[in-house]
Amino acid sequence: MSSSIAQQPLIKVVNLSWQVKGKVILQQLSFSLNKRQILGVIGPNGAGKTSLLRCLLNQQNDFSGDVYFKNKKLCHYSAKQVAKSFAVVTQKATPIFALSVFDVVRMGLLPHKGLFSLDNDYDRHQIELALDKVGLMPSIYSPYHVLSGGEQQRVLIARALVQKAEILILDEPTNHLDVYYQHQILQLVNSLGITVIMTVHDLNLAAQYCDRLLLLNHGKLISNDVPKNVLTSQALTDVFGLFCHQDTDPITQTPRVSFYLKKPQATAENMSMVK
Amino acid sequence: MKKYGLTFFTLAILLMVSGALALNFGPAQISMAEITHCIMGDCATPIHEMIIWEVRIPRILVGIVAGMGLAIAGAILQNTTRNPLADPYIFGIVSGAALGATIATITLSNELTIALPLAAFIGALFSVLIVVSISTALKNHEQLLLTGVAVSFMLTAISQFLLYLGEPFATNRVLFWLMGSLARVEMNNFYIIGSILLISFLVIVAYHRHIDALLLGDESAKSLGVNVNKLRLLMLALCAAITATVVAYCGGIGFVGLMIPHIVRQFIGVTTLPLIIGSALVGGSFLVWVDVGARSALESAELPLGIITSAIGSIFFIAIMLKSKAK
Repeated sequence: MSSSIAQQPLIKVVNLSWQVKGKVILQQLSFSLNKRQILGVIGPNGAGKTSLLRCLLNQQNDFSGDVYFKNKKLCHYSAKQVAKSFAVVTQKATPIFALSVFDVVRMGLLPHKGLFSLDNDYDRHQIELALDKVGLMPSIYSPYHVLSGGEQQRVLIARALVQKAEILILDEPTNHLDVYYQHQILQLVNSLGITVIMTVHDLNLAAQYCDRLLLLNHGKLISNDVPKNVLTSQALTDVFGLFCHQDTDPITQTPRVSFYLKKPQATAENMSMVK
Repeated sequence: MKKYGLTFFTLAILLMVSGALALNFGPAQISMAEITHCIMGDCATPIHEMIIWEVRIPRILVGIVAGMGLAIAGAILQNTTRNPLADPYIFGIVSGAALGATIATITLSNELTIALPLAAFIGALFSVLIVVSISTALKNHEQLLLTGVAVSFMLTAISQFLLYLGEPFATNRVLFWLMGSLARVEMNNFYIIGSILLISFLVIVAYHRHIDALLLGDESAKSLGVNVNKLRLLMLALCAAITATVVAYCGGIGFVGLMIPHIVRQFIGVTTLPLIIGSALVGGSFLVWVDVGARSALESAELPLGIITSAIGSIFFIAIMLKSKAK
């Protein structure tokens, strides 16, 4: 998707390291991301995926190294400026009070509004437009907490649209979703045409929907490339500790990986595949 | 906000009607026509004029602002801590006020008209200061409520110890004050509570979007650029100021801050601006009627206000828990 060669990276991470009480969480990460690219962060549990997202959101200030956004250090942006550019979608948010879908999407106005400002017709229009885009206009007054996990994430994506964010950050958007909703949410994210950084557990989904992948293990960057070059049998076998086999999905032409607890026995049928 | 217009208008009318009707209640029998004449500045007797202008009107006005203040404080505490059971009284504010009142009553035998409210106010702020410093030390403002409960018990223990040692007359005085009443209020109390309320209201309107953002969790609010800890402290300080002023003049009136926002949430909404406007209007009406009840329940004497609100409130509390269990 990255078309122009001389494009300035939107985000550049240089030597990012983060330790908490002597424990290394992230180690010397460097990578960059162009506008409109979709970056998938993959790796086993505890690899540092979510920690990386936290650093990118400026929610940690005790890391070393630099994160640049539009060639300016992220720490030089105010919280409000960061909120205008970065929107977050997680599954962790569970409201205590009966917030409506409208109320949640309306929160996206916050970074663009001054103190004392009330909602106007234009704000309302924007909220409806965003909900329309994620296909949830019929649920505008439904309580947020009764929606399914996939729908809640779509509401948060609508909030990100109202927030007019340039970068959408998703923390494991496909967890707890069935196959249909996994594809629905990633298809939606893909269709927005904005820069996306997300952590993904399902490697085949990551291969299908991401332009680039970051493979992390123990806080270290193992590889950073297009899916085909990251999802190699050797690298995945090393990182996940399972035997991995990679081939190409005949329909989508994207890499496809399968894992085995033991080294697969070669039979007449799979002989050509297993090396 | 437009869709709430009619609801707020109705509630505002209800509040004004409540205030007007409440003028008719009191030990002295004054007819409706006479009251109307008095309000117009044409009283039949100076005694009636005094009763209307110096007793009943201040009492109703203070009742309204006190009810509004407690309801707003409750609503804000509940939204900022995301806990439907948060209430200024659970935060130790009243036990702090009680300690202040106890010390004033025991150490000073006279001059109590000014000293008692002042001591109560200082005591209330003192308790909030302790609660906030402990939760700051814990670096966890989510435990604000539990800290409040603990501090509340601690301060109550100290007050009770002092009262136990103190002379019975002083003890009686503090105990009666703690039960809450609008019997001793004056017009200047209305001005003071009213101004604190107005300032708080403006601050809340300024930050209403930030408070709304908290409703979906701290992480979510941070991602929208909200400084969560600062906001929570600011709102706690406002609630403390409102409650401390109300408690200083009216004594302990419990459960209003818990009950009213809960009712308002059911038929108006959970976002901050509609919630606090609705809570203020309903809270004002509620306390006016509770006070009418307090004046009329017994033939010869007044019932303390706090007894009525606590009785209604505790039943309400149990009802909430039963209802949320049924879900």
